[in-house]
Amino acid sequence: MLNSVTLLIAITLMYSTPMVFAGLGNLISEKTGVINIGVEGMMTIGAFAGAAVCYFSGNAWLGFLCAGLAGGMLAVLHAAASIVFQCDQTVSGIAVNLIGPGAALFICSLLFEGATSTQPVSDKIPKIFGDISAEGILGNLNMDVTVVIAFLMAAGMWLLFYKTKWGLHLQAVGEHPAAADTLGIKVNRLRFGCVIASGVLAGFGGASVTLGIVSQFTPITIAGQGFISIAAVIFGKWTPHGAYGACLLFGFAQALTVLLGGGESVIPSQILAMLPYILTIVMLVLFVGRGVAPKASGKPYEKGSRT
Amino acid sequence: MKLKKLTALGTAAVMLACMAGCGTAAEEESGFSVAMITDTAGINDQSFNQSAWEGLQEFSKASGVEVNYLESKQSADYVTNLERLGDSDADFIWSVGFDTADALVEVAANNPDLRYAIVDNSYEDTPDNVTGVVFKAEEPSFLVGYIAGKTTTTDHVGFVGGIENAVIRQFMYGYEAGVSYAAKEMGKEIQIDVQYAESFSDAAKGKAIASKMFSEGCDIVYQAAGGSGTGVIEAAKEAGKYAIGVDRDQAYLAPENVLTSALKKVGKAMSIVSEKVMNGEDFGGQTLSFGMAEECVGIPEENPNMDPAVYEDAMKIAELIKNGEITAPATEEEYTAFLESLK
Amino acid sequence: MNKIADALKKPVIRILAAILLGLMAAGVILAIAGYPPAASIAALGKGIFSKPKYISNVIIKSTPLIFTGLAVAFAFKTGLFNIGAEGQFIIGCLASTLVGVTVKLPAVLQIPLILITGMAAGAAYGGIIGLLKAKFGIHEVISGIMLNWIALYLSNYVCMLPAFRKGDTNGTDQVSEAGRTLILGAWKKTGEGAAVLKKIPVFGEILLKTDANIGFVIAVLTAVVLAILLKNTIKGFELQAVGYNKYAAEAVGINIRKNILEVMLIAGAVAGLGAALYITGNSPHKVTVLSAFEGMGTNGLGVALIAGSSPIGCIFSGLLFGGLLYGGQALQYEVGAPTEIINITIGTIVFFVAIIQGVPKLLEKYGGRRKGHAE
Repeated sequence: MLNSVTLLIAITLMYSTPMVFAGLGNLISEKTGVINIGVEGMMTIGAFAGAAVCYFSGNAWLGFLCAGLAGGMLAVLHAAASIVFQCDQTVSGIAVNLIGPGAALFICSLLFEGATSTQPVSDKIPKIFGDISAEGILGNLNMDVTVVIAFLMAAGMWLLFYKTKWGLHLQAVGEHPAAADTLGIKVNRLRFGCVIASGVLAGFGGASVTLGIVSQFTPITIAGQGFISIAAVIFGKWTPHGAYGACLLFGFAQALTVLLGGGESVIPSQILAMLPYILTIVMLVLFVGRGVAPKASGKPYEKGSRT
Repeated sequence: MKLKKLTALGTAAVMLACMAGCGTAAEEESGFSVAMITDTAGINDQSFNQSAWEGLQEFSKASGVEVNYLESKQSADYVTNLERLGDSDADFIWSVGFDTADALVEVAANNPDLRYAIVDNSYEDTPDNVTGVVFKAEEPSFLVGYIAGKTTTTDHVGFVGGIENAVIRQFMYGYEAGVSYAAKEMGKEIQIDVQYAESFSDAAKGKAIASKMFSEGCDIVYQAAGGSGTGVIEAAKEAGKYAIGVDRDQAYLAPENVLTSALKKVGKAMSIVSEKVMNGEDFGGQTLSFGMAEECVGIPEENPNMDPAVYEDAMKIAELIKNGEITAPATEEEYTAFLESLK
Repeated sequence: MNKIADALKKPVIRILAAILLGLMAAGVILAIAGYPPAASIAALGKGIFSKPKYISNVIIKSTPLIFTGLAVAFAFKTGLFNIGAEGQFIIGCLASTLVGVTVKLPAVLQIPLILITGMAAGAAYGGIIGLLKAKFGIHEVISGIMLNWIALYLSNYVCMLPAFRKGDTNGTDQVSEAGRTLILGAWKKTGEGAAVLKKIPVFGEILLKTDANIGFVIAVLTAVVLAILLKNTIKGFELQAVGYNKYAAEAVGINIRKNILEVMLIAGAVAGLGAALYITGNSPHKVTVLSAFEGMGTNGLGVALIAGSSPIGCIFSGLLFGGLLYGGQALQYEVGAPTEIINITIGTIVFFVAIIQGVPKLLEKYGGRRKGHAE
């Protein structure tokens, strides 16, 4: 019994961690009013960069940081398009989702002799309890350190938004940029920085998969987690704790699918696989309902405009 | 006005460049050439498409024959890709994966002068210009099942499948039979857990399922789950237990935790057939079956994590399979019958 | 400066410029990677234009993309982000195939039945998203993403049920001959049919060697119908008003919730129609177990966005996507460049389409300032 419970916790956290990173990334961008649906692409390039750097350098943390860097660089494209060129943010998000994986696979094939997967890394993200045996309760709960980092990031973002001056500025920029401007807040500069931050976070999310869950990058490592994280942000009503909770819920449903499956299960495997998605919709209907995006979401800010 | 002219010029320039490309189709008679199409898993699926292409590349190196491939992204691409290969100067066209079966029939009918072959599919009525190539994947699976049965210390092993289909069932039933055979030999009961990830690309799901199996007492898990399977191997690495690879030697993924791999040498079989066709043999209208007797399935020669005594025993079993004394089951009926015969 | 700004305001010029820049960027990337850029672009062009059957294949490949593009674009007009088009397409395929396999009517009845089934299934599935939003306020992006995955697993489950599964294979039977929308499909398979067609130069080759079907014609018609609906009818005006300003529309008495539901029903129906035509018009005419999304809906997003959500524009951007996706395979075959370069190319084109939208404004801002000073 206890074994199952600890297993449930471990799988939940494993599944949700990449989504938490990407979700927080999406959140920080959206909070300042820039729609960022390109997190999937940023996750992918981060996943690749992390695995590649770790393979060549032998250091997982270096890989993790470079993953964030890669995601941030890709985000510059989105930031430039949305803020400088004031284009449709959804379109540039889609562009990022196409360019990110394309670039990742392309560079991978250059670095790894035509293969679109990296070689497995030998140094992965360390576990919480170190190299203990995998038996028993402690063994089950011995998860990647990125799980803890994700939680800290979420908590940190909560503090940022609700307990600091910076956070108030961020939210003001997202709700009423003209008013924020009159207060001397540099709207576009703040937005630009936050979009880059969102890329960095998404990159971390990608690395948490290729350096934590598995130990290599393949074309299918990131397949939909970015979009689910966007859903999580909306589910969580654009708050850090809401997004974190939504990611946990989703990871929990996946964990249930794994634990309920297997030879003895009566429920067909494919129906069980639908569980996380059905559960999300049910929860939305029962508990969440309407959510409101930041008011200035999606609208480029022009100095001197009224809104 | 000026801008309109510019645009017109620009578009014309692009079109000219394209047309220029059209003109350079000087067909060089370069001898025999072989080409293949992948199914939607892609050329780098770390599984049979990749094995197929690697095999063709080796064949090219050994014989000097030109080889090429086209990657299919959607099932509607199969027909268009096969047609495109038919237009190129490929003499022998491979269609990899049972998913391409219906498309190949259509294209083969449209191009009766060209020769085709398909991997992992046997037709009830094979067209005259098509050769079916199937593998007895249950044979190496039986072998690794036997090895697992002999190696387990907890008498509890597992199998993780991707999505259930006829090919994956070969792997599953062969494995289960091998485990049962080893259990009978040693006079004990071994429990086998089976679970499907419902995906060939969710490594996290594979890892989660394997972790669950390991924490419930399994010490060896065999996977036939493509990309999800790499998660199984990862789980073994983290749990300090064993995983068994599939299709290719997957020891490189976790050198200390991969017990062995059930090899399906798609590339080798393709080389053999391509060479024979190049030398004039015609297998049109037939299905060729490759198993241990043809040396196209098996286990790696080097298995650093395996007990040498177990390897010896496994080689004896391999001989029994090769000379037909043991027939590994590939379907549910065959498996049930096999279990009956063990009693 | 201002002349360029004025020119770039025209959508056609913008898109052409974006395509050019995108191809140039692709050329640069290829050169960096060591592939000959000019030969690569030439291979791309050859792969699309050099034979009539290639052009036909581009049109065939674009058809479902035009439909999913329309499904997304139409919803965009009312401010809804129909990211669920992928799921609507999958459900449309499933429903069409099931009917096409189990019902055996003559072609005159079979084909319309299948098409209507596809539309109804797609509409119902899109309607779920509309209902969830209208009644519970649930954002269509979440429900769309969730329903996409549900559709994938549902399709895998149903096509493997003993009732529908073909023997030991991974999917259903093929849709009956009567249900297929290929042009002269049955005739061209017969001996005399093939012999006659071989003699006809261009169209004979197209009919024999490609899955030429009526889908494209219907796609164009659908786009025209939607365009007329939006521009020339009261309903269309209502729907767009909701998109421009929800509160103003409500103040005028337009029922927002009903509109949201109607829009999603129509968008879903369009995606479902595309799915039905895809199944009946393209080999392999059946549904198989999918390991991953095929991407019709995802590409449809790109199609709609490049077209600026204009229904007629979707026809052209659908063709563009189809051309690049189809030609991309030739690129890999001829030059050996990895197929990913096509994704980068498409992404770059979409990116430039986005940016170029903002260039006129920028040019005017900086050009105008100087003008002001001069005065």
